[in-house]
This record gives sequence, C-alpha cells and structure tokens, in this order.
Amino acid sequence: MRSEKEMVTGRMQYIDDIVMDGMLHMTVVRSPYSFAKINAIRGGLNHTDFNSEMKSFGEGETGEETGPGETMFAGSHAFYAGQPVAAVFGKTKYESEDNADSVEVDYEPLKPIMNLNDSLKLGPVHGSMKSNVLKRTLLGKEFSIADSHIDLSDSFMMERIATNPIEGRGLVCHYDDNKLNVWISGQSMHSIKSGLCGTLNLPPDRVRVFHVDTGGAFGLKGGMYPEYAIAGFASMKYGKPVKWIETRREHLMASKPGRGVRGDITISARKDGKILGLKGKVLVDAGAFGGSIAEFSPRFIGYQITGPYAIGNVYVDAQALVTNKPPQGPYRGAGRPEASFLMERMIDRLADETGLDPVDIRLTNAATEPFKTPTGMTIPESRSFLQDAIRELGYRNFRKPERPGFSFFALLPASSPGEGARIRCSEGKVKVWLGGNTHGQGHEFFVKSLLSTEFRIDPGLITLEYADTDMLEKGEGSWGSRSAMVGGNAIIELARRIIKRIEKEEGHYAPEILLDGEYDEQDFVSYKKTLISYGANLVTADVDTYGNVHVKECRSYYDVGRALVPHMVRGQIIGGCMQGIGQTLYEEISYSEDGTLLTGSISDAGLPTAEKIPEFTVKYAENPSEFPHGAKGLGESPTIGVPTALARAIELASGKRIRNTPVRPDYLIG
Amino acid sequence: MNPREFEYHAPHSLDEAFSLLGKYGDESKILAGGQSLIPLMKSRIFSMPHIIDIGKIEGLRNIEINKSGARIGSLVTISDLESEREIAELFPAIHDAASQIADPLIRNAGTIGGNIAHGDPGNDLPAVLVTLGAVFVLRRSGGERTADASKFFIDTLETDVHHGEILTEIVIPRPGKKTASAYLKAKKSAGDFSIAGISTCISMEKDGSIGSIRMALTSSGPKVIEVTGLEEICKGKKDYNSIAEKVSVAAVSSAKPSDDFYGTVQYKKKVIGILAKDCLKLAMERAEKR
Amino acid sequence: MERKVNFNINGKKVDLNIDSRELLVDVIRDHITLKGTRIGCDTSNCGACTVIVNGKAVKSCTMLGVQADGKEIITIEGITQGEELHPIQKAFMERHGMQCGYCTSGMIMTAYWLLSNRKNPSDEEIKRYFSGNLCRCTGYQDIIDSVRHASELMHSEEEKIVVEQR
Repeated sequence: MRSEKEMVTGRMQYIDDIVMDGMLHMTVVRSPYSFAKINAIRGGLNHTDFNSEMKSFGEGETGEETGPGETMFAGSHAFYAGQPVAAVFGKTKYESEDNADSVEVDYEPLKPIMNLNDSLKLGPVHGSMKSNVLKRTLLGKEFSIADSHIDLSDSFMMERIATNPIEGRGLVCHYDDNKLNVWISGQSMHSIKSGLCGTLNLPPDRVRVFHVDTGGAFGLKGGMYPEYAIAGFASMKYGKPVKWIETRREHLMASKPGRGVRGDITISARKDGKILGLKGKVLVDAGAFGGSIAEFSPRFIGYQITGPYAIGNVYVDAQALVTNKPPQGPYRGAGRPEASFLMERMIDRLADETGLDPVDIRLTNAATEPFKTPTGMTIPESRSFLQDAIRELGYRNFRKPERPGFSFFALLPASSPGEGARIRCSEGKVKVWLGGNTHGQGHEFFVKSLLSTEFRIDPGLITLEYADTDMLEKGEGSWGSRSAMVGGNAIIELARRIIKRIEKEEGHYAPEILLDGEYDEQDFVSYKKTLISYGANLVTADVDTYGNVHVKECRSYYDVGRALVPHMVRGQIIGGCMQGIGQTLYEEISYSEDGTLLTGSISDAGLPTAEKIPEFTVKYAENPSEFPHGAKGLGESPTIGVPTALARAIELASGKRIRNTPVRPDYLIG
Repeated sequence: MNPREFEYHAPHSLDEAFSLLGKYGDESKILAGGQSLIPLMKSRIFSMPHIIDIGKIEGLRNIEINKSGARIGSLVTISDLESEREIAELFPAIHDAASQIADPLIRNAGTIGGNIAHGDPGNDLPAVLVTLGAVFVLRRSGGERTADASKFFIDTLETDVHHGEILTEIVIPRPGKKTASAYLKAKKSAGDFSIAGISTCISMEKDGSIGSIRMALTSSGPKVIEVTGLEEICKGKKDYNSIAEKVSVAAVSSAKPSDDFYGTVQYKKKVIGILAKDCLKLAMERAEKR
Repeated sequence: MERKVNFNINGKKVDLNIDSRELLVDVIRDHITLKGTRIGCDTSNCGACTVIVNGKAVKSCTMLGVQADGKEIITIEGITQGEELHPIQKAFMERHGMQCGYCTSGMIMTAYWLLSNRKNPSDEEIKRYFSGNLCRCTGYQDIIDSVRHASELMHSEEEKIVVEQR
C-alpha cells in the first residue's frame, strides 16, 4: 500500500494510471433528458446487447430492496438525465469520445418530476408503481399531548449534493482465462464483486476485484453502478481490457449524490424547554430507482431523529419518493446530518420562542441515563458529555451581541456487521489486508500502530496491502465512520489468535518467534452493535451586505474513544468541518424545472476553495469504547455537527430563519 | 472530455497568421492563452477545423507605458498585468480586475486579448477598458484600424473583430490628475462566474468635485453595459452620500441581468446596486488621494 | 493530426509526435508516461493537473500539448533530486498536507511556483494562491500549514548553503 511519500512524489497508482496492452477506453452515451421515451437507439453497445438489472447495492443495502431496479442501459425510457443509453469504445479516450457521435437516439421528451412536491402530487414515473412512494416506514407511535405549552412546526430542505472527490469513479476490467478481473477506485471490493456477479450472471469464482489507490470517495464509491457492469460486459464481449474513467460532468449528472431530504417537523414542549414529543414527516428524494441508501435513509433518519435527547413521544412518517434524477446515494453522514439538522433547528427555534438559551434547552433534554427512544434506538447518557462540550468549546465565554451557533449530536456509526481482515507473517514481515479500502483516512497508520503494539514489533515491519477478493474472502467496506473501529477490531482479534497459536505451539509468545515463523489468519470479525458516540460544534459567522456568509470560527469537540492516529483525527475533523460548511453555504446539484442540469462544473456544484476556510479548533474527548483499541467512530461527525451550528450562526448574524441548505445569498439579503 | 480533431497552425509572424486566416476563413479560430477556448473545445460545445495559435508570434507581449498612456500587447497574461506595478498605479481598476479573474493558475496562461476578444459578458476586463476609454488595435493583412472599447462589444461572444483581423494591442489613455478607477465583483468562489461586476473611473476637478465619471457592468446583460445618466447625477458633486443612492439606481436601471443558476434578476439587481455604491466610494477615495 | 513537438521536461529534452488536439496533461501522462500529474475535472477548476511551464504554474488540462512546444516544463516528478525530497515534499509529509493524495501533486506544484515568487507568504496569500487548487479531504488547513512550513524549510536550507559557501 502506498503512503504519504508516494503521495508527495506523484507515485500513487490511481485507477487512471493503469495501462494494459490492447486496452479499450469506454465512453458512455447518456440521456440528455431527465425523462424521455426512447423510440430507437442505433449504434454503440446498448440495451439490445445487455439488459441486466441492478444487483447488490453496497452501503445501506438491507436485502429488502423493493423499488423498480435500474437496468444497465436505458431501454424503453430514460428515467434521469445522465442515464447510460449506449457505450462506445476506442483505443484512446479521444477516439472513444469521437465514436460517441456514431450513436443515434430518438428521444421523445416527457415532463419530468424534479421535486418532492411533484412526486407526491403527480402520477407515478414507473408504470409498475401505483404512486411515486418507493418506500414508506412509520416509526414510533402516534400520540397526543394534552398539557403541551408550545407547539412548533417547521419545514426544512437539504438539497442534493455531489460527493465530488477530486478523483471520480473509474475501473479497468480485464476478462482473461474465463475470469473477470476488475481494478477499481473504491470503498468496497466485495459489494462490487457481488454486483458484478449479479448483473453479469457470473459465479463468485469467476470475478476478482482489486482495490487500487483511491482519490477520495465520501460514499460515492461504496456500491455498484451500471457503468461497472457495462465495462465488465464489454471486456467479456471484446476479449480486451476495458477502462472507464468518469469525467466530472458525468460525476455531476450520473453518479449518486447525497442529501435531498425534506423534513416537516412539529415539536411539543413545556415553557421550561422540555420537549415532550416530536412528530415528523421525512421525505427523501430517492431519484429514479430504488436500492441502497435511497430506500434505507428515510427509515434511518426517522430512527435517529431525536439524536442525543430523551424525548418520550416520537412519531415519524418516513418516505422515499421517486423523481427523475439519478438514484440517491450515500454522502458523508448519509442520513445522520439530515436527522440532526431537523432536530437541532427545532431546538434553536424553541429557544427563540421561549427566550431560553438554546444550549440550556439542550441540557434540559439531554439523556441523564441510558434511554430507549420510541423509534427503538438506545442512547447512552448524554448530559455529562454536553456539559463537557459547553465548557471545552467555550460557549459561555461569548458575551452579547456575540452569539455563536452550537450543535449537539449523536453519531451512529455503521459498526455492524463487523469487518473482514487477513494477517500474514512471512519472512520477517507482517502483511495486512482489509475489507474496506482506504481512500484518505490513512488506514495504514492505525494498522501499523495497533499491530506493532499487539505483536510488540517495529511498525516498519508491518504493511497494509492492496486487497482483492481472492486474497480476502469476506469483507464489508469503508464507510459510515467504521474502518478504524471494526477494521481495527478485526486485526487485533486476528493478531491475538496468532499470538495464542504461538503460545500454544511454543509455550510463550515472543516477537522473534512471530517474525521467524509463517502465519496466515483471515476472518470476518463480527460486531453487531451500533456504538453510539457524542459530539458538539460551535461556529461563528458574519453576513456581509451581498449576503455572503463568512465563517469566522469552527470549533469541534467529539468523543473519539481513543485517538489512534492523532494527526488523522485532526485531519478528518477539519476536512469534515469544511464539507459541513460546503453543504451549508455552497453545495448543491440543481436542475431547471424542465430537468436540465444547471450545475455542470465542480465549481458550480459549490466545492469550497481554500479562501473560504475559517479558524478551526479541534478538541476531543477520549472516553474509551468497548473495543480493545478503545476507538469510536469519527469520520462523519463534522458533517453532522457543523451544518446545524453554522445554520444557527447565520440565523443570529442575519436575523433570517434558516430552513434550507445551501443558504443562498439572495435569501439572506432578499 | 477532450477536443475534437482539428488542424493546428502556429504562425511565427502576424503576416503568416493573416495568410492562414485568409486561407481558412470561417473554418478557423484564433487561439491565444486558451483559458476560455480550450474548456469549450474540451466540452465539444465548440469545435473548428483549423486552430491558429498566435502564441508564438513575437511582439505581442509588451507593456509599454509612456506619457500618453499604456500600450498593452494582446498576449500579455493576466498575471503579468496583475503584477505590473505601473499598471496598478495608473489604472487600479485593471489591477483590481486582473487579480480577481478566475484563479492564479488560469491567470498565468490567460491573456488580456483573449479576455476581450472572447466577448463573454462575464469576462471582467471589458467593463474596465470601457470605463478607461481604451482603444483596441485590430490589424489585418496590409493594414490596421482602431476600435473604441465602448463600441467593440456587440453581443454574447460577438465583437467587432472582423474576419481576417487580429487584436494586437490595447491602448489606454493616461489618466488626468485626480483621476482614479476601481473594479469590484461579486462571486461565490474563485473559479466561479461572477454574479455581477462593476468598473468605475472618476476624474475630480481641482476643487474636489466630480468632473467626469464612467461606470460599466460585467455579467449584467448580453454584453458589457455602460451605465448611463451618471454625469447629471455626479457632475460638480463632492459628497459621496449625496450621490450614492442615485448612482446605485442608475446602475440598476442600466443593467439587464437574467435569471440563472447564479441568482434571480431581483437578487442580481440588488447586488449591482450595492456594488455600484461600494465601487463609487472606492474610486472617489482613490481619486481624492491623487 | 500528428505534429512534432519538443519540450524540456524536468531537465530532459524530449521529441514527440502528438495529436494536435491532445491536452498537455495527456501528453505528460500518456506519451512521456509521467503519471504523477492528475486529471480531476473537465472545467479547469480543480488544479490536480498543475505543472510549471516556463516558470509559471498552469493547468495542463487547459493547454494543448502543441502550445507547450519548445517550452520548459516541470512536473511533480521533476522536483525530487534522486531520492532526496524537495523541502516542499518534506513539509507536506511533516504537516500531513494530504489525505487521499489525489490533489497533492497539483498542490505541491502550485506551492513550488508560489515559493519561487514569495519567500514568506502570509496565510492569506497562500489561500489566494491556492484558490485554483481544490481539495475535498483536508479542508485546506493542513495544506496551508504545509506550505508555510515549506517556506521555513527552504529558508533554513538557503541559510545552510550560505554558511557552507562561506
């Protein structure tokens, strides 16, 4: 596995760096229309050649996917702008792009459904459905509160945003000797493998997926996409290696974006700020097809909507709705930031209504002992962490008129169901393979740190290897703030098995015995619980006469359990904070009413630049978890905590109620 | 995405370039720094059978400053413009604009000529050069003519460059005493198109009152728009507060922005109104100091 | 349309036949097979492809290979002396100015240009100079810290050279 030295010398090997003899470059011809009937397609590889339905969804897969499945190529209809219609090939990418001109498609544009209101109001996009409701879940119990002093209702919208890693999607497929070998920029080789087996109808022993250096992902690269199956199919059909590298425009129009969530929330509270009940409707813009997070997230948002608070009555109607947009996918946080935004915005609203300090309302409602919510989530005691956070973030040091935004949240990491790993000791070296691929989180650092401690050997003898599905039989993936927790847990478990074996065979363990011997241990180490941790943010901001928000300070205080690699903890927090700022101020995927994509560049999609950064303060608590390494989840915390605190800071600076992200300048000065 | 096929020509002299332009006519396009053209070619929105790269022609990269003003070669890069001290001194609006165009890396390759001749109403230098009363030198085989900046821009991506002509020089008259300029723009991020931009050039009389004023707008219509009716409002006035509101209204009523992803007409007009006031103030402060 | 070009790249002369339409980044990556220069966007925004052409940092995805004919180019591979890292590279490692590494080559090349122009850039200057290089992972702070640290390292190296020369 390459590391920092390779990064600074340009020696990383990302997917586009792979070149093979006779390799074909693939260009995908896509529907320019958000909704259209396709009368005819001439040219290229198209649905008449390959007409398989999506299988395996990666992150967020429940096994209960119901929605209409996406076919690898559009058939009778194109259901979103960017949907693959045909694929063409060439010896160079230039030639392959030229060949796209040879494809003729006869489209009959239809009126697309581009927002949640139309999705509810208008007839179904898919003939196979009765309405556009893809999935509906009711959580908690209907209730009525007689002695409520205050009932507050509000509606919030978080627009869709692109994941936008600087490296887009990409893969190289090579069908050789009856086996499909796939190198992919990814988070989870096993979900890609099962997706390819399903769509190409191949048995598991005929597909091998290799992780390569991956230039960021943030949820983008955890699951299956039509382009992957098409490239695999083409490699099998033409008997040549096939490379597909996503362009940025393709990323913005056809990869899976995150967020796209509306919440209509009502809370009932007493005058002292105690919240007695919460009712909500959560609507998720699932896009044109079901599967993955698109179906999973409404329920997930409803489940955790009360976050770290002990609220006795909760009832949530959570729905995934079909629109003519690309299927929704996970973006850093994937349901968690949405839930927290809805809750925290209502608490700030309640503060304004009662005249109480919003932080005091949070203290009033924090759990003073473990609490099982009406939606079935059990949270640990949260009040003491909140008290620490108020102090550590310096909230009470601010004096009017200076007032910061403050947020408090629970992180529900995707710790379940555990992770697969392999450790092999041979010729004095320890090699490690993990189920989830590092794509910026520095897995190699925790691997070296944890195993050098377990084995009592020099970390220089330990390397994290590129994993593939033959070298490691079972694995999950790198997402949901899970890798250091469950990946770390898996390698410690395997290391201890090796040590036990040595103790049994040799009478005792010593590093020399390990390094002289040959050991090979692999397993999927289960962990079926959700290890909840808490975090808080404090943000200050100004708004200028043009309606531009200037974030001044962004402070974080999270319980990380134990900081396995302190510089990565800091890096993950600051990077995540900037993504939280991006969501709140700039980022969106936007369409005109007729379904034309308006955000065609990474700049239009709102990726923040260096000029936009505030002063960051990173602090963390280390209350060890039950894992042997003590770590808790972290990666998604800042994307949960920052938008809510920043929204409040803007509200205080502008006097405008903040209900939607991104917060547009025209709203602030309108 | 990547450009379609084309034939590339790299003339070493203007005469060579003129003969290529004559030979290929409408099937050819001039490439300068390429920072606007190449992205369009990459997206395949634009393609042309013949690309004539004027980058190897000598003599178009000079900045000459003399008693009558500045003569700037059309291939001078935006970053050279930005870092030239005398330009910043004489024409602060050029410096203001140059330091806000796209990002520093684009400015290292992009040229003043390209920024003008591309005819994009979102480009910043046209508004500046209109307010500074610049003149563009257009050369053709066997001759040349000049065009006033204020009459040069015809429509979106359409300018007064006739086929066979090359913009070779930008001539800016030396500002009089107590004259100063400024450029401001509103945008989301470095690489973004502006929501709106505004250039102002003000000359003060000896007594500190405004003698003349010009303002022009970026991203506020199909081409650069000069604000009208300013002399009546400003002439003879000394106090910023007495004219700011009226100048702002004049700027807004001259603007013809359209609804797009960057904002509604209503919002853009609001921004233009604020920009006009802020830019007026900055230009007045600068002029007073001279 | 094939065309002959020659460059000086990282101190070496190369003669090549390239297609006129090929972008400089593809010429560097595919013809000269220096893969450290990356492609991140279609629209000249991200700066992952930043290289030095005749002393200035430019986006090699927004320049035709043929435009660079006769010019001097420096890529990420050209700033290392054998295995000895450039102080900027050391600084990025010491201050962890990267996470996934994809934008890193471009960031370092912009730093290389900045620090050749300004010996002691302020944080505000660094932010402005880097407004054409996007990073999705780090939130930029560690990159800014790395660039500042690099300027310190370069100073102390210069001082070392001065002392040695005396």
